Amino acid sequence: MTNISRRSALQLAAGAGIAAASRKANAADVTLAVWTGYPELVPWYQAIGAEYTKAKGTKVTVFSTTLREHEQKLAAAVPTGTGPDIFDVGQILGITFIEAGLIKPNTGAVEALLKSGSYRKSSVDQFTIEGKTYGLPMLFSTPAMFWNKAHFKEAGLSGAPDTFQQKMDYAKKLTKFDATGKMTRSGMSLRLSGQGSGIAEKFRFILEPAGGTLIVPNGKGKYHQGYDNDAGRNALKYYIDAVQTDKVDDPKVQHDAAAFVAGNTSMLMREAWVIGEIQKQAPNLDYGVAPIPAWAGIGKKKTLLQHNGLWVNAKSKNLDAAQDFQIFLSSKEASVKLTQMSGWVAARQDVDWSPLLKEIPQYEVFVAPPKEVEFYPEPVMAAWNEIETRLADRLPGAYVDASLNDPAKLAAFIKAAAAQTDQILKQNDLYGT
Amino acid sequence: MFCYLALLPVLALFLYVRIIPIGFGFLLSFYKWNLISPRRPFIGMDNYLELLGDENFQLALKNTTIYSLSVVLLSTAIALPLAVFLSRKSKLSPFYQTIYFLPVITPMVPMSIAWKWMYDYNYGILNYVLSLLHIPSVPWLTDPDTAIWALVIMGVWKVLGYNMVLFLVGIRNIPTEYLEAAGLDGASDWQRFWRITLPLLKPILLYVLVTSTINAYNVFTQVYVMTLGSQSAPGQAVRMLVFDIYTNGFQFFRMGYASAEAVILTLIVLGLTVIQFTLAREDKPKEG
Repeated sequence: MTNISRRSALQLAAGAGIAAASRKANAADVTLAVWTGYPELVPWYQAIGAEYTKAKGTKVTVFSTTLREHEQKLAAAVPTGTGPDIFDVGQILGITFIEAGLIKPNTGAVEALLKSGSYRKSSVDQFTIEGKTYGLPMLFSTPAMFWNKAHFKEAGLSGAPDTFQQKMDYAKKLTKFDATGKMTRSGMSLRLSGQGSGIAEKFRFILEPAGGTLIVPNGKGKYHQGYDNDAGRNALKYYIDAVQTDKVDDPKVQHDAAAFVAGNTSMLMREAWVIGEIQKQAPNLDYGVAPIPAWAGIGKKKTLLQHNGLWVNAKSKNLDAAQDFQIFLSSKEASVKLTQMSGWVAARQDVDWSPLLKEIPQYEVFVAPPKEVEFYPEPVMAAWNEIETRLADRLPGAYVDASLNDPAKLAAFIKAAAAQTDQILKQNDLYGT
Repeated sequence: MFCYLALLPVLALFLYVRIIPIGFGFLLSFYKWNLISPRRPFIGMDNYLELLGDENFQLALKNTTIYSLSVVLLSTAIALPLAVFLSRKSKLSPFYQTIYFLPVITPMVPMSIAWKWMYDYNYGILNYVLSLLHIPSVPWLTDPDTAIWALVIMGVWKVLGYNMVLFLVGIRNIPTEYLEAAGLDGASDWQRFWRITLPLLKPILLYVLVTSTINAYNVFTQVYVMTLGSQSAPGQAVRMLVFDIYTNGFQFFRMGYASAEAVILTLIVLGLTVIQFTLAREDKPKEG
């Protein structure tokens, strides 16, 4: 054992103190910028950020805009080195940043966490490209069917429908009109108007259970359309029947979560965030949440699985701190808070949801879906937004077009839309049969 | 010399914020670029050739032309008689001028949101007024056939005051002697307007037509706001050129393609302006 003089010991202690103080000062000097496209996540980021500052000394600032503007800001800022340290964005845009080298492959603790078994295999697969992992899954965007229990009881219906055909029958009983024949309550709220990829995304809620899909992989990294078939025609016919023949929905009435919260529709297919809206705006609403129905004759209950990732900007000047905060944001505790505070379902699976389910049982379909439910993931390709948006451009007009009650014209419409999908794939060198 | 030197800073700024971006946009139209990737391959005229067969571009061009023609013609046709009426000496004239001019200075986004509410099928004030007259409610925004006309109405409302003020300035600059002399010769109000006021207003009319056309072809904000959300206009029914450029550039990140569209839009507006100037010059009375 080496003897150390009193002076040396004091010098060492002083040195250690200065080093510790300077480390703390360095951490305190760092400010991490977080950008999100989900304004409802801001309180969560701020709360976790405050905990992180308390624990590590690093400050966190949060900036939020609407999702579309967020994507545009990222596209302009990240390549030019003026972007945030951490950002959340869907896989579709994430892949573009990865291809441009603006998101680096995961290393160390981040990769270990992703592969630790805390996430679904499908999540890990989505965040793995050519054997390397990128970013961390943050939340799921998965739809389920919200149904108004009071409306159902009033119409003599005992529970949520199991098939889409049953759903239409129920909707007919649930729709209400005033004396002039004007719809005052829709039986089901479909996405019928506006613009943007969301219209096609909601069309897929019916297309996929009906046995179709927008694009089919050929197993060699290429794709082709998968809806110029019975499934595509049946899904479109379902919409047209809902609006024109069975009159259970109408573009003119209130739609979406606002309509469900206000009691102006009886059924709505939407994501978990609607629960948060109901809690805020109509806490006494009596409602249930069931899986998306199956298509009669096919029988499988299928629902979309979209991932939103948490990414570290490769151009960040605080890479180590950013990765550390990325892990902090992905902890079990932070994941539970994410769902509690925003309504979105956290992507981590090794989380104890029982306190949340005790408080709000409607979350069950989202956090612990029945085994019978199959998930269809979002294809990870940069052209996906264009494929969905271009189909979405065509659909609202089709839903109200009386001529499409003619099966030949409906088939021609689907054929033309599907041809456009193939054309976009060809333009992006992604087409293959 | 000093004047030219003094203008240099402003010229440099104009070059930096206007000319260089336009030139860069023109160059970009020959490339394939997604804004994010460092790769930017040169593809020559491919973007322009693709545009020729693009149904969305053709629809946007058609819709924008319908919108522009309607807004320019209607706003001019309403603003001119309004200006003639308000040019008369009246205590209420300044008040009405202010009222008509208010939409011009009101920001477009909140106004578009307000119009979206006014157009609401169930709760909108327009349908409420129609109901008082026992006229059935109109699905202003959600019906693909009426959505573009809802935008035209708002477009006219927005530019009416601006055009009216320009006409008013022109009318007030016409020497009163001409009108008084015509009156003494027995000319009616209509004859004085048609034979004196209108011909002398021609430069103002040309200016109004040119600026209104340029503005109408650049319509974007109200299209963006009114197609946002589930209770809004169907995107295709009101697809306009600038909105299509925005979609291609900032949603699909096809910057080269969007730039090619922007170049075509510039050429269209430039062409229309030249035509308007040429027509005005041909009608110019010969001197001597």
